[in-house]
Amino acid sequence: MTAYIAKRLLGLLPTLVLVGFLVFMLVHLLPGDPARLAAGQDATPETVELVRKDLGLDKPLPQQFLRFVNGVLHWDFGRSISTKRPVATEIGDRFMPTFWLTVWSMLWSVLFGMTIGIMSAVWRNRWPDRVGMTLAVSGISFPAFALGMVLMQIFAVDLNWLPTVGNDTWRHYILPSITLGAAVAAIMARFTRSSFVDILGEDFIRTARAKGLDERRVVIKHALRNALIPVVTMMGLQFGFLLGGSIVVEKVFNWPGLGRLLVDAVDMRDYPVIQALVLLFSLEFILINLIVDVLYGLINPTIRYR
Amino acid sequence: MKAPFRMLAAALATLAIAVPAYAAKDVVFAVASTFTTTDPYDANDTLSQAMAKSFYEGLFGFDRNMKLIPVLAESYDVSKDGLTYTIKLKHGIKFHDGTDFNAEAVKANFDRVTNPDNKLKRYGLYSIIAKTEVVDPYTAKITLKEPFSAFINDLAHPSGVMISPAALKQYGSKDIAFHPVGTGPFKFVEWKATDYLKVAKNENYWKKGFPKVDTITWKPVVDNNSRAAMMQTGEAQFTFPVPYELADVLKAKPNLELVAAPSIVLRYLSMNTQQKPFDNPKVRQAIAYAINKQALAKVAFAGYAEPAEGVVPQAVEYSVKLGPWPYDVAKAKQLMKEAGYPNGFETELWSAYNHSTAQKVSQFLQQQLQQIGIRTKITLLEAGQRVQQVESWQDPKTAPVRLYYVGWSASTGEADWALRPLLFGDSWPPKLFNTAYYKNDKVDADIKDALATSDKTEKAKLYKDAQETIWHDAPWAPLVTEKLLSAHSKNLSGVYVMPDASFEFSGIDLK
Repeated sequence: MTAYIAKRLLGLLPTLVLVGFLVFMLVHLLPGDPARLAAGQDATPETVELVRKDLGLDKPLPQQFLRFVNGVLHWDFGRSISTKRPVATEIGDRFMPTFWLTVWSMLWSVLFGMTIGIMSAVWRNRWPDRVGMTLAVSGISFPAFALGMVLMQIFAVDLNWLPTVGNDTWRHYILPSITLGAAVAAIMARFTRSSFVDILGEDFIRTARAKGLDERRVVIKHALRNALIPVVTMMGLQFGFLLGGSIVVEKVFNWPGLGRLLVDAVDMRDYPVIQALVLLFSLEFILINLIVDVLYGLINPTIRYR
Repeated sequence: MKAPFRMLAAALATLAIAVPAYAAKDVVFAVASTFTTTDPYDANDTLSQAMAKSFYEGLFGFDRNMKLIPVLAESYDVSKDGLTYTIKLKHGIKFHDGTDFNAEAVKANFDRVTNPDNKLKRYGLYSIIAKTEVVDPYTAKITLKEPFSAFINDLAHPSGVMISPAALKQYGSKDIAFHPVGTGPFKFVEWKATDYLKVAKNENYWKKGFPKVDTITWKPVVDNNSRAAMMQTGEAQFTFPVPYELADVLKAKPNLELVAAPSIVLRYLSMNTQQKPFDNPKVRQAIAYAINKQALAKVAFAGYAEPAEGVVPQAVEYSVKLGPWPYDVAKAKQLMKEAGYPNGFETELWSAYNHSTAQKVSQFLQQQLQQIGIRTKITLLEAGQRVQQVESWQDPKTAPVRLYYVGWSASTGEADWALRPLLFGDSWPPKLFNTAYYKNDKVDADIKDALATSDKTEKAKLYKDAQETIWHDAPWAPLVTEKLLSAHSKNLSGVYVMPDASFEFSGIDLK
């Protein structure tokens, strides 16, 4: 398995090079002149030229690309056009808050979602199923920004139990992670339910029941393990998405996250930030996929890596 | 996380120093966007410059009504030819790092911004300076390349601040943005770019008895509702801007005060005068007549705006009251007929912004213009598109802009910066922002002559003539002047939003 992981990690490199090239070309195709945007509304043409030189945007495109590649190889992603801080700092400041928010959101939503999913499948078409699926459908349909605002109004403004914005203490994490996790919990619930319903109709479950096992052992030991494969795939995908940051939640709770950084960077045509973020997101997805593949093997030992 | 531990530590610390009887006065300002820099010479957004007033002061400044006042300067003299400005400085002022404020400091700052190698974004505002000389420790002499009568207003602009020359030397022109050292009422403490910027009282501030609070925390919170929530929970004491739709909510809270302040933010509809049919003044006047500005203020700005009263907003020096332009559909139809468009025409209507207010304005304008047969296609431009399609369009002959909804605030508080970038014949894009591609030799001469003279009555006369000519030519349909909505808690006083959307908080106090 170690060899397998090493092989996958090695395969990562060409993918990243390709992504790096594509994203460099794409951001330079965006309409709008970053020097003009950075110089601002009042700027004269001379000032815009000064800014352009300052940002190194006066050089020919191939030269800029070489500089970018060379920088990346030396772990230097350049400086942000709008704030002039190193891109690595800009991303570093936001990575951990985004990461922890993702972890907490995933944790509660996976536990909650899977519990509801399993209960719905076991008591299929009875009241726990109805209640659970109603919750799940509401979770998907309720827009995150509205949920965030409603939660903030109730728990921060009216009851004054929790702070409104920021990320300083664990209390700051509660509302954003509920908001962010709601949709994931709903998706997990529906996914777990359908996967479980399929598994519960399989022959080996009937066999397990026939040999006299009590229902709890049938569900937890025999069904869960087998139902988990598609659920873990979904978990990986969701985790990847959340790691990219959520603009809506970050905006409402003023969370220092990567989603807003990306959107602001696109607005300002902040090339270095866009490039570094897209590279980071690609890397995250590749790593998560790898982890998911390894998890398959742990869940179902019959899966072999080659 | 580590919160319980931190709370315990904080509790112990409080016990240990709980001797002084008074409570620390800490104020939180919730503002709408993150700061781009702390260096006003390298900032192009009003907010960053307003924040920098915590630690920086200029030779001159504006009071809360945009009236020019001396700050670090005592007085000034202009030579007859309008080329040399001799500025007397106040005595006994020190920078936060202990450096003396004197003519050497003035020279260091202007030498820095006028050197193109430093690539500062405000270079254009000060490139008129030929040289700065030290006459004696408290007298500086600035020589201009050509007469420029609005020069003192440039010095009063929030970017023209005095930075400690010692700090400039220590950190260099780039890194000074992360270590600001000025003469202002507050000292810089820390800047966490994603969260807040904090400043603390300057104990040795030269104005005795000020500042009256201990710290200010500037907290950028992008979401309007979240800022409003912070005001309601008491996590912030001052916020700007308050969106129109939340005005009533905040007004109803007993501990908050909502303030609607006059502004110099003018909103107008510019028309490309080089292109048919807008080359015909009658068409342009017809459009100006066809728009009900009063209703526009009500519909799109929830009443927090007033019909524009001229080409230049009233709070700007040398502005002339000429309007509002009357709403008269019959007259508009008549003019359209005279111009040869009895059945109207089709055209593009672009908005320079894509926020919800701009959307409402565009739709309102579309509906109003339909009354006189002008059918418009609305496009809300995103920042990059705006730059590409309007601001950096190279060839005026092919410029695609037709009707263009945009706004301007003359941040030097003087008519020159309200007229020259927008209506001077030499200011067509990509140079500046004459999006009407308007050119009138009389107006051009007025603007030029006004810059060359330092005689105030003469200037007033020239600017009056220019504004009247423009008003009659109607390269724009003047729409509204916005009001600036802010909210503060009732125990906070001395914080004002100025007409250019900057803040004045030298008298800030918390009860």
